Amino acid sequence: MAAAGNIYFERDDWRGSLLWSATAHAIFFGGIFIYAAILGGMHAENWGGTTTGGGAMSATLVTSAAIPLPAPDIQTEQVLSNQSKGLTQSLAPEVQPPAPEEIPIPDRTKTKPKHKQQTSITPPRVPPPDDNRVPYGEGGPVTTPYSMVNLSGSQGGLAFNQGGDFGSRYAWYVNVVRQKVSDNWRRYEIDPSIPSAPRVYITFEITRSGEPQNVQVAQSSGIPSLDISAVRALQRIDTFGPLPPDYSGGRVSVEFWFEYKK
Amino acid sequence: MKRIIPVLIALVSAFGQLLFAQQDWIRTGTNLGVERVRLAVADFKPGGADPKTTEFLKVFNDTLASDLDNAGIFDIVSKSFQPLKVPGTPQEMQLEAWGNPPVNAAMVAFGNFGVSGSDVAMQGWLFDVKNPGSPQVLGKQYRDPASAQNARTQAHRFANEIIFRLGGGIPGIAESKIFFVSDRTGHKEIWEMDYDGANQRALTNLDTISLSPKAAPDSTRVVFSAFAKHGLELHMYSRELQRLVSFPRYGGTNVSPAWSPDGSKIAFSSSMKGDSDIYVIDASGANPRRLTSSKGPDVSPVWNPKTGEQIAFVSGRSGLPQIYVMAADGTNAQRVTDTGYAVSPAWSPNGQFLLFSWMRKYGPGAPGAQDIYIMDIASRQWVQLTHDAGRNDFPSWSPDGRHVIFQSTRSGQDEIWTMLADGTRQRPLTSAGKNTQPNWRLK
Repeated sequence: MAAAGNIYFERDDWRGSLLWSATAHAIFFGGIFIYAAILGGMHAENWGGTTTGGGAMSATLVTSAAIPLPAPDIQTEQVLSNQSKGLTQSLAPEVQPPAPEEIPIPDRTKTKPKHKQQTSITPPRVPPPDDNRVPYGEGGPVTTPYSMVNLSGSQGGLAFNQGGDFGSRYAWYVNVVRQKVSDNWRRYEIDPSIPSAPRVYITFEITRSGEPQNVQVAQSSGIPSLDISAVRALQRIDTFGPLPPDYSGGRVSVEFWFEYKK
Repeated sequence: MKRIIPVLIALVSAFGQLLFAQQDWIRTGTNLGVERVRLAVADFKPGGADPKTTEFLKVFNDTLASDLDNAGIFDIVSKSFQPLKVPGTPQEMQLEAWGNPPVNAAMVAFGNFGVSGSDVAMQGWLFDVKNPGSPQVLGKQYRDPASAQNARTQAHRFANEIIFRLGGGIPGIAESKIFFVSDRTGHKEIWEMDYDGANQRALTNLDTISLSPKAAPDSTRVVFSAFAKHGLELHMYSRELQRLVSFPRYGGTNVSPAWSPDGSKIAFSSSMKGDSDIYVIDASGANPRRLTSSKGPDVSPVWNPKTGEQIAFVSGRSGLPQIYVMAADGTNAQRVTDTGYAVSPAWSPNGQFLLFSWMRKYGPGAPGAQDIYIMDIASRQWVQLTHDAGRNDFPSWSPDGRHVIFQSTRSGQDEIWTMLADGTRQRPLTSAGKNTQPNWRLK
């Protein structure tokens, strides 16, 4: 019992030391904190501060910098994956959200939901493996009609108003126009705070020698920066190349719409 | 445990943001344009029984396929996918065979080629497979004296026609030339070659050090800098006369000449008055006029090829060399790079982009790589084109603005490399000796 009494006696002693220890720690860490907060700021450089050099240029992300060259927007799979049957497999094609005016075509190939058969004794029927399908031609060449443009979520389209059957006879030329306009559309010119915008319709004419003329906003999107970026895309273009030599008309009118989605 | 949950949520959301940022970067890397035209280039059918046909036909087919592949605007169908029956004329063309899988071509180029008598003759067509109603986009025929060189030229010309039509009116570069410096003879001399690296030949034989060749816009003359009696002086080589023509001497060190877009003036860097500054002279060498007068060296001027109203140059006025842009009369100089060590500007043919060589981190303790960058002048946004491959310098634009040529040490020594202007499809053009300072002209 005497020994136990000694232990209690010693515990009483700890309380004083513990207090001292706590106070000393508090002073120590408090000192460090004050030093860091007050003195540290004097000679430390602010991270991301303005001391890193001249302000002539703002370094920006790679995100929206535009390069003139067309790299494929969507990597189509058919180039590599087709040769050996079954060994390689195409990725599932990206599902494009349908345009509002499109009527969805009922998908008849979809497998019907299986009835609940778990309770029956017969083993569930194994569905035929889709994987062995020969992926020939998936992601084919031109899935959209010639007059549509897909630009990383944004869309554009065009229509040739004059020239009768110009669009069907010279589909390749329409394709060139579409490609060239979309190449020259700089999306960083559009107000970055806008998530999406209604269509802006631009009209212009292409002369015999291929130059765009009379570029006009036919119908504004209501977003000035989008309207301006669309007009500028046309202004950057010197020529689309001469109109097809066997085309009889002197010029064609084009309506090009831009639809912006972030 | 309850206290840990908010921490976990915070961690997960932070990680999610990280993932998100990464996704963003990847997406931007691949979405720089729209889908390319899928083009099938059929081997041309031999026309004629002359024994030389086979030899020249191979040259023709190889050149045509490589030209169209190098154009950068097509997705070329692999030859192993093509139908076995090769069409030689429009009557033999079966559009379904080329439009259906696995070929899936949107366009097909085909024709026939043969030696008849002392001539090589070719007929070529370009058909729009998806438009059976009026498939023909292009039809051409050429006839030249029989030689392998003419077979190459015909292929170049036909490729140029296709690129011109489908590439939006920009002339193809299949017949363009590249001027460069090579030391393969023991001295640095001025050389020229075709755009694909073929037909390399020396222009000068001065047995000194010749540098920075720049061909005039019409390619009739090449101005370059070479050691004369009292230092580096400008020299002028006439490609029509195939010899050097006389050119004034200015004294001091005269380097990095550049032609104005109309070919009437030359800008260069000279120390004729002590400090190294940008001067402009007439194409004849007369009337030197000083454009810059800042402290520190000013070198490597290049004109805006579209307007001729601006000059980009390298200046050391603020310490390390940086790229500046000024008006063509020397006023309103603005710095466009903010840090590091930036040299060798090259202005794109459409005037919208600057290429340059940049060491973003320079100095002791900051081992930065020297890489090619492209900058959009209007927005000052830039993109790095070469990564992790030697020292890359002296970029030069192709006349169509779709390709870039530059020198790189990635193969062990300085060689000339080419790539598309988005940084893809890099490949070497030279391999003999050290080859540097390329300059690309249309003919």
